[in-house]
Amino acid sequence: MLAKLYIQFLKFGAFTFGGGWSIVAQMKEIYVNRDKVITDEELLDITSIGRSLPGTMIGNIAMFFGHRMAGFWGGIACMIGMITVPMIILIMITSFYTAFQNNLWVASAMRGVRTAVAPVILSALMGMVKSAFKFPPCYVIAVAMFGLYFFLRMSPVWLVVIGAVLGLIMCEWYERRNQDVTA
Amino acid sequence: MLLLELFWSFVKIGFTSFGGLSMIPLISSEMISHGWMTAEEVSDIVAIAEMTPGPLGLNCATFAGMRAAGILGAIVANMGTLSPTYTLCAVAAVFFEHFRDNKRLGEIMTGVRPACVGMVAGVVVDLVLVNYAEAGAVHFPSVILGTVDLILLLKFHVSIPVVLMLSAIAGVIMFGVMGL
Repeated sequence: MLAKLYIQFLKFGAFTFGGGWSIVAQMKEIYVNRDKVITDEELLDITSIGRSLPGTMIGNIAMFFGHRMAGFWGGIACMIGMITVPMIILIMITSFYTAFQNNLWVASAMRGVRTAVAPVILSALMGMVKSAFKFPPCYVIAVAMFGLYFFLRMSPVWLVVIGAVLGLIMCEWYERRNQDVTA
Repeated sequence: MLLLELFWSFVKIGFTSFGGLSMIPLISSEMISHGWMTAEEVSDIVAIAEMTPGPLGLNCATFAGMRAAGILGAIVANMGTLSPTYTLCAVAAVFFEHFRDNKRLGEIMTGVRPACVGMVAGVVVDLVLVNYAEAGAVHFPSVILGTVDLILLLKFHVSIPVVLMLSAIAGVIMFGVMGL
């Protein structure tokens, strides 16, 4: 069972480009539609919790699914399976990159690629913006965190913690206010 | 001790990241402050991570770990990034029913998401300052290429790996052949 889970997630891991959603789609195909071991709803639950807990989304999803199938070690088998292929590929690329970093053609290609990185992150940021501003104070948080990160160089660890605390305070405040209005 | 330091750095990265891009600010600050990568290399790894399978955080872990301490470093860094998965998630999996409708998680994310937007915006500015400059001055060919990339992404919805490949080819032509 563990070996089977490992092999299956090895395959999933080999085909995730840019984000974890392709894995969710593959899991749906195999585990929901073909094997019928979990339902659509359960997969959705796993995905949404995996996404909202810290860490790598697909690692978390693999853990939840594996745990469901075969307990803790099932989770570990899926998690390790998921990362095996990407890790081997990246070890090879890193070796190549380190060896050829100063080669004119590789350096030129990487320089071209670097010009695309800020636009790529920016375009992904646009996608995040849609779901990020639930209440008006969220805008203030975003601007404040930008300042603390960029100008004061505060560690992102603290900024995430501050964001989490503010999130709790904000939601409670809005909830109470809404209760007052209805009462 | 290097391995321990790597592991701890990536534990921090793992526990404060909520999917994809939210990892970049911490990866960038941890890598640069430890001297494991330069700002240019952070850009490179983001690009490489987008073009290869596997999530960004783990690809960065492999890259930084390899650079700092070889294959063992890569494994240690990966285990650090995955630490929330085999601790927090393993616990959550046991108490799955309790977690499913947990209101607090949603409330926390309400604050974390805008915080991430702010920090990621900070990273974009950082990268712009590094990637479009040469010897302290604005490097116009890079700015033009970057602008074209942005238009391809936002206006024509070209996929990220394709944009990165096109930029690599453009880089070879512009910087390699033409020597801009």
